[in-house]
This record gives sequence, structure tokens and C-alpha cells, in this order.
Amino acid sequence: MKQFDRREFMRMGGQLALAMGLGAGATPRIAEGLEALASGTAPVIWLQGQSCSGCSVSFLNSRAPSPFAVLTQFISLRFHSTLSTATGHLAMEVLHKSLQEGGHLLVVEGSIPAGMPRACVMGEEPMTELVKTAAKNAKAVVAIGTCASFGGVPAAENNPTGAIGVPDFLVKEGITTPALRLPGCPAHPDWLVGTLAYVLKVGLPELDKLARPVMFYGRLIHDQCPRFADYERERFAEKFSEDGCLFKLGCLGVSTNADCTYRHWNRGANTCIKAGAPCIGCASPTFAAKANLPFYLKGVASVTEGA
Amino acid sequence: MATTVLIDPVTRIEGHLAIKVEVTDGKVTEGRCMGEMFRGFEVLLRGRHPMDAGQITQRICGVCPISHGTASIFAQDMAYNVTPPDNGRLIRNLILGANYIQSHLIHFYHLSALDFIDIAAVTGYQGEDGTLRSLRDWVNAELASKRLYPAAPFLPRYEAQYATDPTLNLTAAKHFVEALEMRALAHDSAALFAGKIPHATALVPGGVTQIVTMDRVAAYMANMQILQAFVNECYVPDVIGVAQAFPDYFALGKSCGNFLSYGNFPESSSGSRLFPAGVLIKGTPEELKTDVITEEVKYSLFSSPSGLHPEKGETEPAPDKADAYTWLKAPRYQGHPMEVGALARVLVAYQQGVQAVRGEVDGLLAKLGAGPEALDSALGRHAARALEAKIIVARCLEWAGQLRPGEPVFTDFELPDSGKGQGLMEAPRGALGHWIEIENKKIARYQCIVPTTWNCSPKDDNGVPGPIEQSLVGTPVADPANPIEAARVVRSFDPCIACAVH
Repeated sequence: MKQFDRREFMRMGGQLALAMGLGAGATPRIAEGLEALASGTAPVIWLQGQSCSGCSVSFLNSRAPSPFAVLTQFISLRFHSTLSTATGHLAMEVLHKSLQEGGHLLVVEGSIPAGMPRACVMGEEPMTELVKTAAKNAKAVVAIGTCASFGGVPAAENNPTGAIGVPDFLVKEGITTPALRLPGCPAHPDWLVGTLAYVLKVGLPELDKLARPVMFYGRLIHDQCPRFADYERERFAEKFSEDGCLFKLGCLGVSTNADCTYRHWNRGANTCIKAGAPCIGCASPTFAAKANLPFYLKGVASVTEGA
Repeated sequence: MATTVLIDPVTRIEGHLAIKVEVTDGKVTEGRCMGEMFRGFEVLLRGRHPMDAGQITQRICGVCPISHGTASIFAQDMAYNVTPPDNGRLIRNLILGANYIQSHLIHFYHLSALDFIDIAAVTGYQGEDGTLRSLRDWVNAELASKRLYPAAPFLPRYEAQYATDPTLNLTAAKHFVEALEMRALAHDSAALFAGKIPHATALVPGGVTQIVTMDRVAAYMANMQILQAFVNECYVPDVIGVAQAFPDYFALGKSCGNFLSYGNFPESSSGSRLFPAGVLIKGTPEELKTDVITEEVKYSLFSSPSGLHPEKGETEPAPDKADAYTWLKAPRYQGHPMEVGALARVLVAYQQGVQAVRGEVDGLLAKLGAGPEALDSALGRHAARALEAKIIVARCLEWAGQLRPGEPVFTDFELPDSGKGQGLMEAPRGALGHWIEIENKKIARYQCIVPTTWNCSPKDDNGVPGPIEQSLVGTPVADPANPIEAARVVRSFDPCIACAVH
């Protein structure tokens, strides 16, 4: 394994501070966090806000390393609501003592009900407060999934809880801990495990301007589409289950950055477009955001009515 | 003297649940279920394109997205007056069936088993099994380290009496690790037809988008054969092993004595289902009637009217409402609280004489030397799930064999200006209903009543507690600082709070 010295961590810390729009003053702290992660002993605390647990379930679908290998060889998963044996007051004790110790990587799944803190409470503490406490002395924050990254479905138009994504919440609260986004509904397990492995073994991956690792989110789904040739030849599917480009059915691969068409889901089993399903843009910052931007175009007058 | 014991959070379930029990003379006298997370799906769905619902409602739950997707497309099939072709119906069953297997495996091994088996037993393992040796070496290295919490997330745990039989502990520990692979394999199988999972994109009104190809059918069947071996040779025997080690739990955890099943897995386009619909009120069978379902909100954090049928349901959050203690509404059937889930499905099917279910249940009861009354218990719920998994995995193999390549998987339809639909099915956790109302090609109203809404329901307007609240009464709590007995009873229902509140 490649070993880094302090200078290397400082360089990578500066890179991350830049991607997050943070000042150079944040660099030493980020460097320290990366160094702790690279030692392979970094505790991980995983909190669930307004989540469906789908990103946790998706993590369990990791092929190699297996989720068990991740838990026993990569990280020390101190707290995870769905996996921790500790329950009740014991679980809260584990969480709080680990937070006091600090030096953890904070993974947050689900959005934050910024407009209605009562909408997510654990151990009699609002999740808004728990996330703030946990983020303040974390080395870094990973927003996993579209809800944590950008708000996602709970933040859709007309939502009653004022749900927002974690990085935006932290900025609003004046917390400068660096935060990465791994959007996707759910996030692909490789995107999490790959990012963790990269940070632990190599360093900080290159990030785009939304703090997403370029290695996973650098290209549009459309550009990597197995039906791209159909698009070029203007062979369009007119109804579900037909051959051809899915654009006229509503496919959002043209505006969604992710590598699922190459990577495939569920350990290589399939991927949406291959299964004949239009991309619904689940990794996009605007996923489900607007009522007037539907996933499918059936019955939408301006596009396919009369077809 | 009464002691109040709070279990908050209840971990190893889906979502944010808190349980409060009053304990007098070592037994629970009152229980409260508090659902602690709200997103407002029914509110944010209003005004959207009706077909968005099939995708958006899957995001209610990452453990059973297929159930929500299926309930939503059932409701939409009705609203659009479309019937999927046989291939479409079968593929929906295959996706749902595979997710049942993953859901039941994760519930028993990864969420519940650590309440019963002694994971620390691996520290002294002397045998040659590779999985157990690597688990042992990791746990021992962790315990020898100076970490604040070694062997997290598996330790720490409640101080309690765990299983003492070394064979049971080691076998279950090995299967705990293997079940991680098995549940992922079940998800792979679902994705062969679903596109991806969690959150399947291939489920659409009118059928599915994934065409039948023989490579997919063969891969699905190969995976299912591996899963069938694991279910029959590991899962079912491990549940029996835990049952034999903790027989007290056949007498604990009885809830309200009423059971509801909407029926599941359509066997034809005419509506018959593998598991039938039905109701048991205090043991008396009744035909399912959907017009007697209501949701009450006196103790729920909503200001909308109480007692509405879901077709007329409203969801107006009131986070500061006095006396309300949960984000769940209180669904009632003819005014009765109802237990839902695998146990309800199995009891309804048994009562209606479904042969596959009768054979499995009678065989298991004989093995345990118990009568049918033992099923209505915490262990009965685990047993019902295991038997159901055995039946479903076998039927999935038969359904896969019925697929016809080259024949349609989807029936096209016109999106109507207005319409109504009701989608009733069974999620792994129990009866799931979606109700959609469409006006001007937009969703005018959408309501969901979800399995854990039934099971974890608060008191209704008459003060009658919900099923889990009732099941806790009488549960012994030997040590209020380590209330594992109450936790075991609650987990036997496989609660999902993201679902229950939505």
C-alpha cells in the first residue's frame, strides 16, 4: 500500500477544501482527517435522517469487498441504526461517547427536516441537533444517496417538512467540516465502498464542483448508454418494453451524471435502461424536485399526446 | 412500583421507533409505540403526474420498495383499466418474491438473531470452518485492541441471557455471515427483472418494462435454487433452533387476536392469489371488506379529521399537537386494531385450507410439539416468516418456468383525465394498501396504509392500543436497564417506521 506523508495529506486537504468552497484555513483539519482515515482505524458513524434505509440496504449489496469485509477490514462502524446490536439507551451511549472521542467519518443517509425538526427524532434528540453535533468534530462527512446529497424525494415540491440535503444544512448552520456527495436513489454500493477504499488506500479522489467523485459521476448516463446507437439513428421506443432509445418515454439519462449503465446494479445483474426502463434521474440534484417535470411522458400533451 | 422504561431508538429495525413501557412487578403493564420520522409523501404527491407515484412511493421504504411499487401499479392498473399480460404478472411476482426472501433473511439473521444467539461464543471457536475462524480472529483482535467500542457494530449489547448451546450459537453466527451473501443474491435475482433494487424502475402500470429472455430466466432460477437450499437447510432449521432454546417466546408477544391479509401474488389475471385475502376477528374468519377501513388520529401528530376511509384520507401534519405521541395514524378495521404480517397471512391461509400452508404449519408444529395456538406469539411470527419463505421460493421457481420469451410483458393504456384506484397487496411486513384519485391527469389524492401503520399503531380515538402496544403487556422485564424481552417482542413484528409514517 502506498504510504503518504504529512505533506501529501496537506495537499489533498487543500484540494478538498477548494471543492467544498471552504477557505485555506480548513486545510490542516481536513488533512488530519484524511490521515486518520488512511490509517484504517477511523471510526465511522452512520446517521439516518429522513431516510428509507435504501442506501444502507444498497451498501449490503456490495460485491467486492463484501459488506462483512468492509465492516471487519476497512472501517469500525461504531453506530448504525439498522446494524448496531446496541439498542435504546445503550445505543445512544455508544453514539455520544463516540462523538465525544471525535475523529470519525460521518455518513448521513436521508435528508434533514430543517423546517420541522420534530419530523426526525432519535433518543429524544432532534436529528437536526444530532447531525450538527456529529458533523462538528467529524473529520469529514459523506452524504450518501440523493436525499442526503440534495434533499431528494422528501424535499420534493410541496413537501411539508422543509427537507434539505446535508451539505446545504451544514453550510446553513455555519459548520465547515468538508462534505462529499454520493447521490443516487439509492447510492450504488461501489460509489460508497469505492470512495472509502480510495480515501483509505490512496487519498482524496478528484471531485467535481458539487463535491461528487469524478470517477463515478464524471459523465452523463446518456453518453454511456447501451441504447446510444438507437438515439443516433433516431430509433425511439414508443411504448414500454420496446427496443430503441427511451427518450420519448421520458428518459433523463441526458441530464443525469452517473456511471450505472457501465457499472450495472446488483453485482452486475442489470441496469434500468437495459431493463427497458427510462432513467428517472435518481442521482440528479433535481431528482423528483418538481411536480411539472414528471418521470414519464405518457399523457403529457406537449410531447407524445396522440401517439 | 411502576418503572418507566424507554427503548429509544429501537435499533435493528427499519427507521426511527421508540418504545415506552410501564413495568410493574417485573411485567409490562402498558406499552407505547412512537414513530419518530415524517416525510409527507401523501402531501408531496398531490398535483404530480399519476405515474410518478409508482417511483416516488418506492422511496417510502428501501427494504420493501417493491411492495410499494407493486401496490401503486395495482392501484394504477385499476385507475387506467389495464390488465398486464401473463408475463408481466409473473415477472412482478418474481421481483416481489425475491425481495420477500431478502427481507425475511435480513430480518431473522441481521436484525433479530443477535437478541437470541451469543455472538461472543465465536471467541473460543476451535474448529476448521473458514467463516467462523475469520470471525473469531476479528472479534478477538478487536477485543484485544484499545478501541472505545471493539467489535462494533456487533458489540456492545444488552446484558442478558443469550443462547448457551454452542452448536446453535456457532451455526447461527456462520449463517449470519452467509445470509449477507444470500440476501444480496436474492436482490441480484430481483434486479434481473427489476432493473435495479432497491427502487425498481422496471415496474410500471400495465406490466413491466423488462422483456423475457432465457438467459435471465436461467440466471434467476439458478439463484433461486441456491436460495431455496439456504432457506430450507439453514433458515428454517435456525428458526427452529432459536425456538427450542427460547420456548418462553411461544407464550409471549400475543397481540390483539385480530388478523388481516389482503392476499398476495396473483396466480391469474382473474384475481386468485397464492396467499388468500381474509380477516380473523378473535379467531372468527370473515371475508375481507375494504369499506370498513379507517384511520384515526387522536394520538397522532396530525390535525386532519379522524376516522376517514383512505379513499377520503387527509394528511395534515401537526408537530406540536398536545397528547399526540407518534407520527403514525391508527388504522382500524370495523373499529378493530389488526395484526398484519407473515403470521396473519399464514393463519388466514391455514384457516381457508390452503394445502401448501397447512402442510408446512402442521409439520412445524409437530416438530416443536406445539399446538396452533403457539403461533400467535413472538416466535410464531419468526416461524411464519420462515415457512412462508420456503413456500415462496418454491413457487418463484415455478413462476419462472411459466415465462414465455417473445410474448408481451406490457399492455399499453391511455392515461385517463380522472379515475380512482385501490392497490391492495402484502408487503413482507403485512397488508399494504395504496389509494389513488386522479383529476385532470394529476394526482388529486394519494393515501397509503402500510403494514407497520397497523402493527405499530398508537391508541385509537377510543383509547384502544395498537397491536404491538397490546403485545407488550404481560412481557416480563427482568432488568429495566436491559429490557431485552420487550425488544425481542417488538422485533418479532419486523417494524418498518419509514413505511409506517411515510
